[in-house]
This record gives sequence, structure tokens and C-alpha cells, in this order.
Amino acid sequence: MSDDPDKVWPTGLTLKEAEEVHSYLIDGTRVFGAIALLAHVLVAVSTPWLG
Amino acid sequence: MSSLRDATLRKIATIGPRYLPFADVASEAVPLSRLLRLSLFQVTVGMALVLLVGTLNRVMIVELGVPASLVGLMIALPLVFAPFRAFIGYRSDIHKSALGWRRVPYIWKGTMLQFGGFAIMPFALLVLSGYDQAADAAPWIGQGAAALAFLLVGAGVHMVQTVGLALATDLVEVEEQPKVVGLMYVMLLLGMIGSALIFGWILRDYTPGRLVQVVQGAAVVTVALNLVALWKQEPRDRARASRVETQPEFRDAWRLFVKGRTALGLLMVIALGTMGFGMADVLLEPYGGQVLNLSVAMTTQLTAVLAAGGLIGFAIASKVLLDGANPLDVAWFGTLIGVPAFGLIIAAGPLGLAPVFVIGTGLAGLGAGLFGHGTLTATMRSAPRAQVGLALGAWGAVQATAAGIAVALGGVIRDLILRLPGAESFRAEAPYTPVFTLELALLVMALWAIWLVRRKQARLFQTTRYTQPQDGPDPDVVTHDPTPLTRRPTGEEPHDHGRLTAL
Repeated sequence: MSDDPDKVWPTGLTLKEAEEVHSYLIDGTRVFGAIALLAHVLVAVSTPWLG
Repeated sequence: MSSLRDATLRKIATIGPRYLPFADVASEAVPLSRLLRLSLFQVTVGMALVLLVGTLNRVMIVELGVPASLVGLMIALPLVFAPFRAFIGYRSDIHKSALGWRRVPYIWKGTMLQFGGFAIMPFALLVLSGYDQAADAAPWIGQGAAALAFLLVGAGVHMVQTVGLALATDLVEVEEQPKVVGLMYVMLLLGMIGSALIFGWILRDYTPGRLVQVVQGAAVVTVALNLVALWKQEPRDRARASRVETQPEFRDAWRLFVKGRTALGLLMVIALGTMGFGMADVLLEPYGGQVLNLSVAMTTQLTAVLAAGGLIGFAIASKVLLDGANPLDVAWFGTLIGVPAFGLIIAAGPLGLAPVFVIGTGLAGLGAGLFGHGTLTATMRSAPRAQVGLALGAWGAVQATAAGIAVALGGVIRDLILRLPGAESFRAEAPYTPVFTLELALLVMALWAIWLVRRKQARLFQTTRYTQPQDGPDPDVVTHDPTPLTRRPTGEEPHDHGRLTAL
């Protein structure tokens, strides 16, 4: 592993691995956003705000 | 956009490894404290189950006034995903990631699903019940949103539990597995009891705002506990990420899993026993109340008696299995205890003896504990290391489906008998006795099935004992486990690690 040119210190992650961690972050944010949107729509149905 | 992405990547790459959720290199022995931490995911599973089947069941019917049939349908929805557990487990077996993880990504995704479901659930339920101005909205909005919420939570629970158990199996040696199984069951039970008490206490005075707080609080607790449970648990296997191997299709993996072993027989045993023990779960309390005239407080304590019996069963099973007993024998004795237990429960009604009923309930819990522990341990032991996810997925699929069908069937049988012409003149125990008798019959069938599986196991052991030393070492096993193949206990069935590569 030590001869991997992509490896970035001090984590010892390669760029590919860091990219995977990043993809979890992005996916999580997307799911979070979609859930929040849906929750807001449902609240707006029962107790509408903005007239 | 891309420069932002590059900057983020570089940033992540420079975080110290101490703050990243990776385990050290596969260590020799996993300490109990770490297993205890891992078992926290079972607490969230138990919490989700109680919330769906217990708390929200009552809140939807009593406080929100949703029709009971619609509530029943919503609660049954997560069951739709149960059979997919086998597929989820298989996917995690063959998962490829640059980080060298197989289980963590799935547990994380399951956690997100569970979180998302809980996050929208209270609003969906309020819309469903026509709260405030939602009464003017189209009914499909509330129904669709509630169904989606229940489906998300259900899918998340199935995913987290299946892959979580697979991770636990990965982490420990075969002779340590009974300890893990006991731990997982106890944590599930504690999670259920604890959250039932807490939810009941918080929701004493129901308000819509309280409902939102409770369910969304459960969502946050789920994410928090699962994060703690997962942290630095799964060892990374970078070699797996770079290894090029063709993975079997699900159908081939399944065929490999059942071929020449007792896997299907074991699944049959699990289905019969789970249905036998589980059918009365929701009927014991009304039986005690209507037939034996127990007060509400006393029937609630029945659940505690059942749980205590289960805990004792797990403890005994862990002890004897760690001493080297055969897990199927433990399951056999559990089922054997279940037969007189339901006999006592049936007899208690006509005799009018409440103590007999309580003893029967406790024995049923004890038998179920022994049976559950024995069969799950047997599943873990019989799985080849490369197919642990698939094996535990199949266990979960059969177990969850059987339990769901059993509870539904028990309720349906009772209601059908109550609707028979002239039902008013029946004795009070008439709707219940047939259900308990059916359970007895299922348990006897389970006993027979265990006997058949044991016989086949003995025969397989005879034929494979002489051929085993010729098996070549599997490269997959070497990376998981530094101990030589010959030193690893093989359980009752040969651990044929070479199977997957032989395909």
C-alpha cells in the first residue's frame, strides 16, 4: 500500500477512499434535504403558514 | 463546483485517522465492551419495533381516531420488506468499496432510512388523522405519507438488523458466537422494554406537539446510537477493494448456500418455532383479562413475566453453548419446554387458575429464549465465512415473516371465532383455545423438524470428516482471520470456505 502515489498523509487515505467518504456526506445531505422538504410539505398541509 | 469538491476532498484527506470511524487492523480478540457498544444497534431496532407496533398503534387508534383496519394495514407494511433481508445480506457480502468496508455502508444507509421515516412520521400521522386544516386535504396525501414513513422505518430496521448481525458474526470467533447472540437478544429485549416504558411515560398527556417530539426524538436517538455502535468496529480490508473476482449472482449464491447442507431444514425449523412461540404474543393479555379476569395492571405484568422468562432462557443458552453444547439441542429443549407451557396456558382458562397461567407464560418465554438463541447460533455457525450476510439475511427474512404472519393469524382466528353465529353463548376461552392449540401443534412440528435436521447433520458430518483436510486454504479467510484453518472449530457442519471460489 505504501507505494500508492495517491496516498495523502496524515490520514493514510488515498484520494479514492477520501472520495468515498465524501460521497457518503453528499448522499446523506441529499437524503436529509429530501426528508426535510417532505416534512415541511406535510406540516404545511395541516397547519398552513404564509396564508 | 469542481474546485469546491477538490478542496473538500483534500480537507477530508487531512483529518487525523484518530477521528475517522475505522477499526484497527483485524484484532485477535474483540473485548466485550466493544461488542456491547456494537449491540446498541439492537436497542434502536427494539425502539423502532415498540414505537410501530405498540405506542403508535395505540396513539393512532385512541388519540388520533384513525380506523383500526387502516392502522393494522400501516403496521403490517414493513413486513413487505422482510423477505428482502436475504438479498440485503447477500449484497453486503459482496459489497466493494475503496475503503474496504462491507457492512458499515449498509448499516449507515439503513440508519438513514430509519431516521427519515421517523422524521416525517408524526406529520404524516397528523395529516392522516385530519388534524387542523389537513381535514380539507385529499386523503391520499396523509395515507401515502404515512405508508411511506412506515415503509422507510421498516426497510431501515430490516437493513440495520441484518447487516449489524452479520458484522457481529464477522468480528468474533466461532466459539465466541453464543456470547454475541445472547448479547444481541438481551439488548433487543432491553431496548424494547426500556423504550416502551419511556414512551408510555412521556405520552401520558398526549398533545400533537408531544407526538412530534417523541417520534423525532426517536429518530435522533437512532442515529446517535447507531453511530456510537458503528464507530471503529469494522476492520478495513483494502486488499478486498483491489482484488478482482467475479461475484456470484444472488441465485447462484443462494444455491451454494442451501446445497448439501442443512440450511433449508434450519430455516424450516425457525419458521415453525417462531410461529409456534409468537402467535400468542398479542393474545396473552386479552386472554388473561377476559378469561381469567386479571386486572389491566396484572396483564401488563404478564409481558414482564414473558420477558423475564426470555432473559433467563438467553442466559442459560449462552452458558451451555459456550460450554460446547450443540445449538440445535438447545433449540430442541426450548421447544420441548414450549409444549407443556402452552398446555398450562390452555388448561388455566377452564380451571380458572391465574397462577397456572402465569407459570405457563413464564415457561413460554423461557422456551422462546432458548429456541431463539439456539437457532440464531446455529445459523451463524452453519454459515461459511464468505456468506455470513446471506445466512443471517435468510434467518431474519424467515424469522420476521413468520413472526408477522403468526401475530396476524392469531388475531384473525380469534376474530373469526368471535363472529361465528351464536358466538355470544361460547365460553370465554373459546376464541383463544384454538390459537393456543395451533401453537402446540406448530411446536410439535418444530420438534420433529429439529430431529430431522439433527439426523441429516450427523450424516453430513460423517461423510465430510474425511474429505475436509484436502480442501485448499481460501485466500478470503486468510485476510479475515490469521488463525490456521485447522485450529478453527468447525461446529457441526464443515466450514467449507472454498465454496465461493470453487464456483
